[in-house]
Amino acid sequence: MTLNNAEKIIEERETHNNGKAPLKDQRKNKNNTSSSKKPKLPFKERVKRQWDRNAIVYIFLIPALIHFIIFQVFPFAFSFVLTFLDWKVIGDPEFVGLKHWIAFLNDGLAWRAIWNTVLFSIYYIVPTMALGLILALIINSGVKASGVFKGIFFLPVVTSFVIIAGIWGWLFRGTESGMVNYLLSFFGIDTQLFLADSDQALLVLAGLSIFKVAGSTMIYYFAGLQSVDKQLYEAARIDGASPLRIFWTITFPLLKPIHFYVAIITTIGSFQIFDSTFLLTGGGPNYSTTTIVFYLYQQGFAGLNLSYAAVLSYVLFFIILVVSLIQRKYLGQETNYY
Amino acid sequence: MKKTITYTALFLLAFSFLLPFIIMALGSFKDMKYALLDPLFWIPEDPTLSNYIYLFNDGIFARWIFNSLVITIIPVFSQMLFCAILGYIFAKKNFPGREVIFWVFMAVIMIPQQLLIIPKYIMFADFGWINTYWALIIPELWGIMGVFLVRQFLQNIPNDLEEAARIDGANDIKVFFKVILPLSVPVVATVGTFSFISNWNDLFQPLIYMTKEEMFPVTVGLASLLGKEGDFGVEMAGSTLSFVPTFLIFLFFQRYFTEGIQMSGLK
Repeated sequence: MTLNNAEKIIEERETHNNGKAPLKDQRKNKNNTSSSKKPKLPFKERVKRQWDRNAIVYIFLIPALIHFIIFQVFPFAFSFVLTFLDWKVIGDPEFVGLKHWIAFLNDGLAWRAIWNTVLFSIYYIVPTMALGLILALIINSGVKASGVFKGIFFLPVVTSFVIIAGIWGWLFRGTESGMVNYLLSFFGIDTQLFLADSDQALLVLAGLSIFKVAGSTMIYYFAGLQSVDKQLYEAARIDGASPLRIFWTITFPLLKPIHFYVAIITTIGSFQIFDSTFLLTGGGPNYSTTTIVFYLYQQGFAGLNLSYAAVLSYVLFFIILVVSLIQRKYLGQETNYY
Repeated sequence: MKKTITYTALFLLAFSFLLPFIIMALGSFKDMKYALLDPLFWIPEDPTLSNYIYLFNDGIFARWIFNSLVITIIPVFSQMLFCAILGYIFAKKNFPGREVIFWVFMAVIMIPQQLLIIPKYIMFADFGWINTYWALIIPELWGIMGVFLVRQFLQNIPNDLEEAARIDGANDIKVFFKVILPLSVPVVATVGTFSFISNWNDLFQPLIYMTKEEMFPVTVGLASLLGKEGDFGVEMAGSTLSFVPTFLIFLFFQRYFTEGIQMSGLK
């Protein structure tokens, strides 16, 4: 019903605007004639027609596809081939079969790196989601100048890891005069080593990532909160439910799709963590912050063991693939990034 | 009462989110080269510009900023143009293979950058692109993410305007520049801001493709400064300078960031 009406309105408007027959009919006629004539037209004419209608497609899509194949598809395939070769910086590559894959299965440090990355995810995902949700709730509660505060919380998202890691490193200095240690001393907590302590370093790095990313989870939650039907809150309030109860029985369950989506993207992000460990700990102390990507970097670009690094990159890819497939299964969406 | 709690929480959170930036800005005026014994080391008692002067006397820092501008600005404009055109093609044009190609795009975007970087390093070494801008510009000329955003945006726009222009005899190129591009300004701005931030802030790729100091972008340059223990003031001055462009873009285009993030996810 409504659709028909809308179409009528559009047609009316079109007739009105043009003073001619409705555009829709014109287009129909055009399509009909072209399709009925198509087989009879000589090849040259057909090409010309297609060109007239879709020139922009051919001029821009073909170069883009070539670019896509060179910089995305080919490297993806090449990297897989690379895992079966011994790629030398100088000299011909040599086929070695599954050697690098077997080496990976027996590489304790690689598994340690995977474990560290999982541990990092555990430290990072839930706090990022919780902080993002808290920020969104506060922003959404009708405070003044909410746009300014939203900007402040979002600022670390657009700031480079290098800047934030630089400041973070100074704040978490493992000496008495480090600022965080100084603050902790007011609570009677002894001086902590932080980045120099193999039990704490990963936690400090997770803290950095939480600070950096919470602003973007806030944006997702904020959008979610705005789509919650206000009448639900009204009804609950009339029934005398406390704010806390309203949150746990209405808001939190209604945000379920967002919880899920945010969980997936933060998980994917956490498996790619590299910058902070490269900048602040160099994988140490005692390999406690050697993540998958950092290990890949060390193997590939410090050790020039490119083939083995390719194996590690495929392991990373499989992990991310599984996470993304879970998302597709449960959300049925075509997006899976950011 | 409830209001007081909310505002207290809000201000405390806002302060802690801003504190690192305050430390950075204030610390950049602090003259200090040696071990720091004061927890509030970043408050400059007598502010000095010496850190900034040091950075620019060095010469190389200005070069890093210049490199960053080159590898950021060219991809930003290129992405805005090509993502707009390609997004329009996928949203509005009918051509054989459209769905398949888009499906492949969506599948490939799942591949982590870290996987592509090893083969790309070998390829670029072969092309002679290591330590040149090409390695960071050419692969970034357009992006699937941007095409996706523009396509999403244009799919929600009715076809009447475009058809009207076509009946007036405009060809494809004209339709795109006269009708589609002006309509797409918000989403194209989103593509541009995303591209700016991701290129300006990228550390991993230039770290691998740029091995000569004079080719470093500012991220890699700053990372090398971090290695030099003790130069807190210089580090913070460098950070502040590299933060200024990000901050300006953010200040003017904040809306496009948040809208882009929402568009990429929840629709």
